[in-house]
Amino acid sequence: MIEYVLMIIIILGSILSLMQRDLLKAAILTGIPGAALAFLYQYLLAPDVALTQAIVGSAIVPVFIALAVYKTRRVED
Amino acid sequence: MIMDTQLASLFTAGALIIIGIFAAVFLDNLIKKVIGLAFIGDGANLFLIAMGYKPGGIVYIYLPGMARDWFAQNAAYPLPFALVLTSIVIGASTMAVMLGIIMVLYKKHGSLRASKVLGE
Amino acid sequence: MNLLIPLMIIVPIICALFLNLLHKKDRTIKVIAILLALTLPLLPLLASYGVHFFGGYEPLTQNPTLSAGLPSLITGTALNTFHPAITYSFQEAQKLFLFILGLVAFLAILVSLFETRRPSGVYGFMMFMGVAAVSALILTDDIFNFYVFFEIAALATVGVVLVSQVKGNYETALKYMILGSIASPLLLLGIALLLGVTGNVNITDIIASLKSGVVDPQNPVILMACGLIVFGWLYGSGLPPFHTIKSAIYSKALPHGAALLQAFSVFTFIALGIIILRIFSYLPLSQMVIIGVSLLAMILGITMAILQTDLKRMIGFLAVGELGYIGLGLGLGTALGITAGLFQAVNEIVITAFLFIGFGTIYYQTGESDIRKLGGLMVQNSKVALLVLLAGFAMAGVPPLNAFQSKLLLIQASIQAGLPELGVIMILLSIVTFMTFMKAFHAVYMKPRPLDLEIKNDKIPRVTILALFIFLIVCLVLGLFPQVATDFLQGISTSLAGGIP
Repeated sequence: MIEYVLMIIIILGSILSLMQRDLLKAAILTGIPGAALAFLYQYLLAPDVALTQAIVGSAIVPVFIALAVYKTRRVED
Repeated sequence: MIMDTQLASLFTAGALIIIGIFAAVFLDNLIKKVIGLAFIGDGANLFLIAMGYKPGGIVYIYLPGMARDWFAQNAAYPLPFALVLTSIVIGASTMAVMLGIIMVLYKKHGSLRASKVLGE
Repeated sequence: MNLLIPLMIIVPIICALFLNLLHKKDRTIKVIAILLALTLPLLPLLASYGVHFFGGYEPLTQNPTLSAGLPSLITGTALNTFHPAITYSFQEAQKLFLFILGLVAFLAILVSLFETRRPSGVYGFMMFMGVAAVSALILTDDIFNFYVFFEIAALATVGVVLVSQVKGNYETALKYMILGSIASPLLLLGIALLLGVTGNVNITDIIASLKSGVVDPQNPVILMACGLIVFGWLYGSGLPPFHTIKSAIYSKALPHGAALLQAFSVFTFIALGIIILRIFSYLPLSQMVIIGVSLLAMILGITMAILQTDLKRMIGFLAVGELGYIGLGLGLGTALGITAGLFQAVNEIVITAFLFIGFGTIYYQTGESDIRKLGGLMVQNSKVALLVLLAGFAMAGVPPLNAFQSKLLLIQASIQAGLPELGVIMILLSIVTFMTFMKAFHAVYMKPRPLDLEIKNDKIPRVTILALFIFLIVCLVLGLFPQVATDFLQGISTSLAGGIP
């Protein structure tokens, strides 16, 4: 059951992050589908991939994007 | 449930890829484009993982004390998982390079709009 | 077990990492880079043919000691023949391709070290990394390994463009990366579908399971996988719809960088093309698609080349157009056609590198590549002008030079395959290619010199002229003795054509 919830979170989270006008918010919201994917990988019997995805998808990618936003412009023009 | 987990995961992967392509092609902001591209990569990875999944199976780690035949029949297929580990890291590094280029371009053009920066 | 086979990938990677460490130590970088680059063409010459299994995991059939204690569930089925390790296979064709890649890489790196005022470790890093990735593309027999090095080659391409400091290079690099980030996951998706259907990433095993009927070859999923892999192929080699971005990439790199980049894309083209032919050649559609795309590439590339005013862009479009000839050879599907196509690939790499480095001297002297602002440079260095003219003759297919032999073979193959129309198109486009080249040559060398053209560096480095001479010698040797190259290609083309000689 919980895997279906995770899938819905992934899709909604990705759409939500692309809909933000504030780019910093968008960057942080990309962490949600990333983390949900990590949990989903755990349910799909891939614990080692889940570990990697948890670090890369929910921490590294949002931080990189947030850094780029911080160095450029926060609000979409 | 209407769908089994594997099929649902494949559909999720397809949805992620379509969302990503939509964002990369139609959104004008460069950072949004990069976020979309990251989703395409995630979708492809999820697709590979779902390929290796076995309904009702066990994790592909052989622990001492397991019967060999039982393990061989029930474990998930480990090859796709090994591939995805590489693929995740490649995706993250490609994204980092793109964000770096975007930062340089912002200094030059003062804008994040693709139509302004990338247009001739 | 042949230890030199993995070294062909490892040596350039080590060179790359090592050069990056020596940042800002100019003389040391120069000496080490030249010495290490010299090993690139030598390694494939020294290595003997064979197959390398990484980690030493051979197929069970080849290692009786391993399979001794195993149950018949494994030894009695197809599992016995599967390749558990990443497999690199080094045969005659790979020897020729790697030698040519090594030669072009050596000369490009040599010229770059003498033409740039301060040799930078980063530029060398990108060039060597790209060479490592493309060598792996040629050698590998594992389709996921192919994907990994495909990505590395794309990143190295972007790196070469980024360090060039040509105006507008960052924009072009970003565009290329955005397109690449769409195309590469789709290629991965195609590989995932193949993996899902056959349960394997080793190409030999995929073919075995398709041929033996373990997997239904008419499965629609395989058709979709074919489509996705072909899409990745179009991106990696710069066929339409990616021809504009690819030629832009060439024009934003420095001339020696562009000479290497076009070798990367041609080798990506033939490596993935050979994989597509090996796996999907039983699909009747695949050959039609290859021929169609190649024709489009030829016509679009060469006609757009006439319209350009930027010298490097013009050669970039010509390079894309020449890809079409190779594709036609592969698409004909006969042994003669495939031999001709691969031979044309080898010739094209040498000639386009020749042209890029030859016209690169103009960029070196004036810092200008717009043909409207150039002219009258024949006086400055008539020796280089003569060499460039010979390169243009070679590209158009004038008899004693190499492209004549391969184009002749291609036309013979198209007549033999019952498609003489293709031969006519090839001859016509050859003439257009020559016209385009003469237009550029006239504008640069013969036309009266504009008054505001200033010359920054009067002397061309002697190394550049030496490199041009080496290219000319390769062109002459391949033109006078085509058997030198075609003998190496005979084996692979016979096996690709399905055993028909």
